[in-house]
Amino acid sequence: MSLLDAPLNEWHRIDRLEGPAEECRRLLDLGLTPGEEMAVVQSVPLGDPLVVVVRGMRLALRRREASWIQVQ
Amino acid sequence: MDIGSVKVAPPEAKSAPKKLPDHQTEPRALTVCLAGVPNAGKTALMNALTGGSFHTANYPGVTVTLSRGKSRAEFGPALTLVDLPGVHSPVAPSPEEELSCRVLEGRHPSIQPDAIIVVVDATQLERHLKFASFVARRGKPVVIALTMIDLLARTNQTVNARRLADALKVPVVPVDGRTSWGVAELIQTLRDTVKQPVASYSALRELPEEPVEAYRSIRDLLDTGGVVKQSKPLLAATDSRTARIDSLVLHRYLGFPIFFAILGGLFASIFWAAQPFMDLIDLGFTQASAGTLKVLPEGVLSRFVAEGIIGGVGSVAVFFPQIVILFFLMTLLEDSGYLARGAALVDKPLSHLGLHGRSFVPMLSGYACAIPAVLAARTIPQKRERLLTIWILPLMSCSARLPVYALLLAALLPGAAGKAGLALAAIYVASLLVGALTAGLISRFILGKRTSSMLAMEMPVYRKPLLKPTLRMTWSRSSAYLKKAAMPIIIISACLWMLSNFGLGARQPASLDGRSAPAIAQSELDHSFAAEIGQTIEPALKPMGIDWRVGVGLIAAFAAREVFVSTMAIVFHVADTEETQQQGLLESMRAATFEDSSEEGSPKKVFTTSSIIGLIIFFFFSLQCLSTVSVVRSETNSWRVAGLQLLFYTGLGYLLSSATVQGLRLFGVD
Repeated sequence: MSLLDAPLNEWHRIDRLEGPAEECRRLLDLGLTPGEEMAVVQSVPLGDPLVVVVRGMRLALRRREASWIQVQ
Repeated sequence: MDIGSVKVAPPEAKSAPKKLPDHQTEPRALTVCLAGVPNAGKTALMNALTGGSFHTANYPGVTVTLSRGKSRAEFGPALTLVDLPGVHSPVAPSPEEELSCRVLEGRHPSIQPDAIIVVVDATQLERHLKFASFVARRGKPVVIALTMIDLLARTNQTVNARRLADALKVPVVPVDGRTSWGVAELIQTLRDTVKQPVASYSALRELPEEPVEAYRSIRDLLDTGGVVKQSKPLLAATDSRTARIDSLVLHRYLGFPIFFAILGGLFASIFWAAQPFMDLIDLGFTQASAGTLKVLPEGVLSRFVAEGIIGGVGSVAVFFPQIVILFFLMTLLEDSGYLARGAALVDKPLSHLGLHGRSFVPMLSGYACAIPAVLAARTIPQKRERLLTIWILPLMSCSARLPVYALLLAALLPGAAGKAGLALAAIYVASLLVGALTAGLISRFILGKRTSSMLAMEMPVYRKPLLKPTLRMTWSRSSAYLKKAAMPIIIISACLWMLSNFGLGARQPASLDGRSAPAIAQSELDHSFAAEIGQTIEPALKPMGIDWRVGVGLIAAFAAREVFVSTMAIVFHVADTEETQQQGLLESMRAATFEDSSEEGSPKKVFTTSSIIGLIIFFFFSLQCLSTVSVVRSETNSWRVAGLQLLFYTGLGYLLSSATVQGLRLFGVD
């Protein structure tokens, strides 16, 4: 499933990234690599972006970016 | 043989012809670049290394500015330090990232580092080490500065710097840029490293480039080296304090009230807390100007110094307290970690307009002054979004417009202070809405489809800002502002003074004897170049419903908008008696009639409901601030952008103002 469907505060393992090649490569460089665990920990009042935690880092991802992340 | 071939290697050969004599007598200053992922603590370290005395420099062919400075004297022979912009990823880089990568890969013509300090956040070792391996692969001597050590306790971690150095085969020095702890040791380690030949092997350099593999190898390296000790499982290793604050400031219902409360507090401080200081500076410049007139022999030169230089600089210097307070509070918000949250809150609406979440910081600063706002736009990662933000900044109702609006609203709504206050508030809100509209329209119809815009913004851990580094940062930003703005302001105000005081018929000393100072000033203005320009463009001013005297005010306002008020006082013959000035000016403005209107019988008034509204609209849009134009030019490195912006807004102001005046008159509003 996509990260967008992941319930709040639940840890999921990244399966793969499906999106524009360059942008996905940037996400990989940020440490969102397949096999790594991540969680959506916070939503903001307008619903976009989401705050996720990965590799001990908090990251704000737009919903568009989060939709590329397939998790198990 | 080997040694010989090293000496003619390209980077050496390039610098050799120029610097050959220096090379043999004394060693030239080492050039050391600071590199790292954004938020690694680079700027704080740069501040500690240089004592805050670095300056931003535009390098030829680069549209990005870099900070460059000399290391503090206490650290021994001077090093040239260059703070490279933070790099998230060398793939599809922003202009800043591109520049850093070019320097690090040795592809930059004028910055050739001898060594590189990679700033690594100890709480996010894996990601930062991945970037460090990118740097190390280029073969330059590398030292790792390990920051954020104090934050490890919050996630129940410890990092062993010596083991890290052993695992990576690269020197690692723990530092805290905010307190300068470890900085002297960092420099010593750096000197030792540069002296030795680059090690033939470092584990850091051998890390794979492909991200998935790289991250796996880094974790293996850290695990086998026993670098990180964890008393809790990694999944729980997120800072709980940060999580708690985030759940409050990003709360569904409380998030925006908190955001607006912080913004409101910032606004209030800029306007109220700065007021006494502004009054003091105003008084100081008035005194200095009057003193100069007394001390220097009477003549054109003394008036030029007193009015053109001191007066001109004073009219802009009064805003300095606002700018210092703005920078101080912004630095506090940034260092605490809140700024990234604010950007996340407003990213959705702003990204619809083609802007970035971070655009809100420059937009907010724009309400104090467009110049620091343009400088603040540097924090926006994508060039397109940064340019669009800079483009709309002149619309934000800066505080130089305030005296102008105050005068015009008092003339429009006599005796109704309440209504005038409401109208002023409406103008402020409208400037935000019009700015948003402009951004949206330009983004959609002129810039076209976005290529790639990402947020993927790190939300740094909340930290209590320390006073000393905050003050140091405030000072370095404020002085950067002064350096950027001071020269253009002096030149522009001197030029405008000459335009308003010299002219073909300006000198009639005999006829001026025994007349009051305002009368002299008025008489000179009547015959000045500014008046000539005003009279020449009078036909163009007709649609706005104003005469050449107001036109002179509009021209003078290009030095700073509020100069309009003092120019009005001169052209409409108001005696300068402080308390009554505003009242006297209003009366003169109300009585002013067109000079050529007598032929039609009843004299036509200059300031009518429609022409005042027209003027307000003109000031709302027009980019009447040449200092802003000059800063936009240097920040975008483009005369085209700055010139287009000046023409666009001033033209728009003229058209809309004329259309409004003519429209109102069509409906019978005079």
